Amino acid sequence: MSGMMADGKYMFYVLFHPFEGFYDLKFARKRNYTIPTVIMLICGVAGILGYQYTGFILNRNPLFAMNSITLFLTTLFPYLLFLISNWSITTLFDGNGTMGDIYIVISYSLVPKLIFDLAGMIFSNMIIQEETALLHAFEAIGTVWFCFLLFCGLCVVHEYKPLTNVVTLVVSFCSAVIIVFLSMLYFTLLGKVFGFIHTVFIELTKR
Amino acid sequence: MRDKWAAVIAFILCLTLQPAGAYAANTFESNYTYDYWADAVRSLPAFEWVTTLDSGKMGKIKMESVDDVYVSKDRIFLVDSVESRVNVFDSDLRFLLSIKLVKNEHGKFVVDPETNKQLMLNQPEGVFYSDALEELYIADTGAERIIVLDGKTYVYKRTIEKPENMPGVTPFKPSKLVVNKEGKISVVVQGSYEGIVEINRDGSFFRYFGLNKPRVNVADYFWKSIATNQQKEKMKKIFAPSFNNVSIDSEGLIYATTFDSSAKDRVFRFNAKGENVLITYGWPVIGDLHYMSEQDYSRFVDIAVTDYGVYALLDKTRGRVFLYNFEGEIMNIFNSSGNLKGNVRNPTAIAWFGDKLIVADKQFGVAHIFQPTEFGQAALEAEKQYLNGNWESAGKAYQDTLAQNANYEIAYTGVGRNYLMQDLYEEALYYFKLGNSRHYYSKAFAEYRNLFIQQHFIWFVVSFVLLAGALLYSEYRYNRKHG
Repeated sequence: MSGMMADGKYMFYVLFHPFEGFYDLKFARKRNYTIPTVIMLICGVAGILGYQYTGFILNRNPLFAMNSITLFLTTLFPYLLFLISNWSITTLFDGNGTMGDIYIVISYSLVPKLIFDLAGMIFSNMIIQEETALLHAFEAIGTVWFCFLLFCGLCVVHEYKPLTNVVTLVVSFCSAVIIVFLSMLYFTLLGKVFGFIHTVFIELTKR
Repeated sequence: MRDKWAAVIAFILCLTLQPAGAYAANTFESNYTYDYWADAVRSLPAFEWVTTLDSGKMGKIKMESVDDVYVSKDRIFLVDSVESRVNVFDSDLRFLLSIKLVKNEHGKFVVDPETNKQLMLNQPEGVFYSDALEELYIADTGAERIIVLDGKTYVYKRTIEKPENMPGVTPFKPSKLVVNKEGKISVVVQGSYEGIVEINRDGSFFRYFGLNKPRVNVADYFWKSIATNQQKEKMKKIFAPSFNNVSIDSEGLIYATTFDSSAKDRVFRFNAKGENVLITYGWPVIGDLHYMSEQDYSRFVDIAVTDYGVYALLDKTRGRVFLYNFEGEIMNIFNSSGNLKGNVRNPTAIAWFGDKLIVADKQFGVAHIFQPTEFGQAALEAEKQYLNGNWESAGKAYQDTLAQNANYEIAYTGVGRNYLMQDLYEEALYYFKLGNSRHYYSKAFAEYRNLFIQQHFIWFVVSFVLLAGALLYSEYRYNRKHG
């Protein structure tokens, strides 16, 4: 437990000192996945909260049709997709980061975004339409911070130069698209095969 | 252990499945409306059938079809293109007369001097009565002319044929027409891609009017942009979609409809320049928002406009009538095609008859008269009062509609607006939330927030002082510790 407390304290150190922080995380400190996983879970829950509790003026979601499990998964899906695509690309590009490294980088980088988004969600209940631009600017701080941390973190754990990192990010975006495409193809074909078997079965039983 | 995890994951995946039956809501045949999320929700009908105008009221004269209806101050005109007649009723629905041959002022039938034949209507499709000019205009489509009669005596006045100075290639077959107070005639020619033809009072051509933009396909646009001029010549040209009906409101603004599938807008309200200035605060004015196939969209054949901006659109695809208010928000959808009383098969025209509506059917040769229901009366009254700026009576009428139909979304906003005017912000916020009106909610909330801050100002001061004190104290302690 005290280890977790130390990890938690260290996480905030990482937010302000990304290069040193991520370097120590990778090489010096004992690896522990509890805090990253907790962050990821909170991130999913924040997605659900944002859907329901964003102020009425900004919230155009049909609350009666809300499905919190779907929301949880769809919030986390892009990060997990990025995790897989980035790992699969960086293994080809001589990156030194493991899947675990990337996971920790993503989850720690998410912390400022999470904080700003949740704060923005609370503020969105106190604003009027003319002030939405301010709120978006406020939330953009978190997003920019998130991007910066992610970029630094990936540089450090893969031991890349910034330019190489940009290239791998672009390529991992492309690979993410390909992964989505292939998985959709796979599931459609699977559905068709099952449909075919089902038809044959019906045909045989109803003869 | 592994099986357990697999079961948990499978369970979670099952939870993500959407509840079934979401589409059942869209199968209402009639009496529904669309809410903020474009879902079809049940609604009371705003109008109900009362009576029908048909051959039975006309003695020996038959009415085989009704192609157009016009209601003047004291008369109803029905056009029958099969029998080539214009039938006139008075406002108590008594049959007055039927026009087929036209008489001159001596009581004799008018004879065309060139062909030596009697002047007889030939498949007319449109009629218009100008109360200001006291003239009856008949679009005699088959004979490619417009016949003008005196409004009181039905005596022949003049014939307007294709103006000599009229450009364009489409044959002049006037189908529907309106005339403004100065006597300028706006004519719709079916299948014409030049627009609405405007003809001066003396019968000369004035201009083509109204812009009906076609929808442009992205792929087509791309290929056109890289094609050479020679290639472009061989490509299929995109023509402006044609209008199919036209209407005029009390201020002389011209409304038009089109059901061409390539048209960008379906309903038009033209300014003097011919641009579409229809207000659409709600969903786009296209009738049904969901349809099963490409061919299934609402085809508007006619539009009827009231003095207070409420307009009714008649849909040929499903025989429905769509009621929109001045701001383009949907009020009600009623009627359908079928065999019940009031139902239609091939609807052609719709017109306001006071607060009643007349819906004409070509196939059965009848015109149905609908009267507002209790809900409809309240809804129309509310729009009338709102447009005239009588906020309180509008709010009251909106309350009445809500008492009968909780799905009537515009009314929540209407009631809320009334509360907002009375500075009752909490009530206003409640109603704006129900009406999904974020614009007005924001206005009410700004006022509410100001009041809240004024009333609880002391707490803001106290928390600020505490925060500042804590900061100062920590600075002080830090400095004492570190010298």
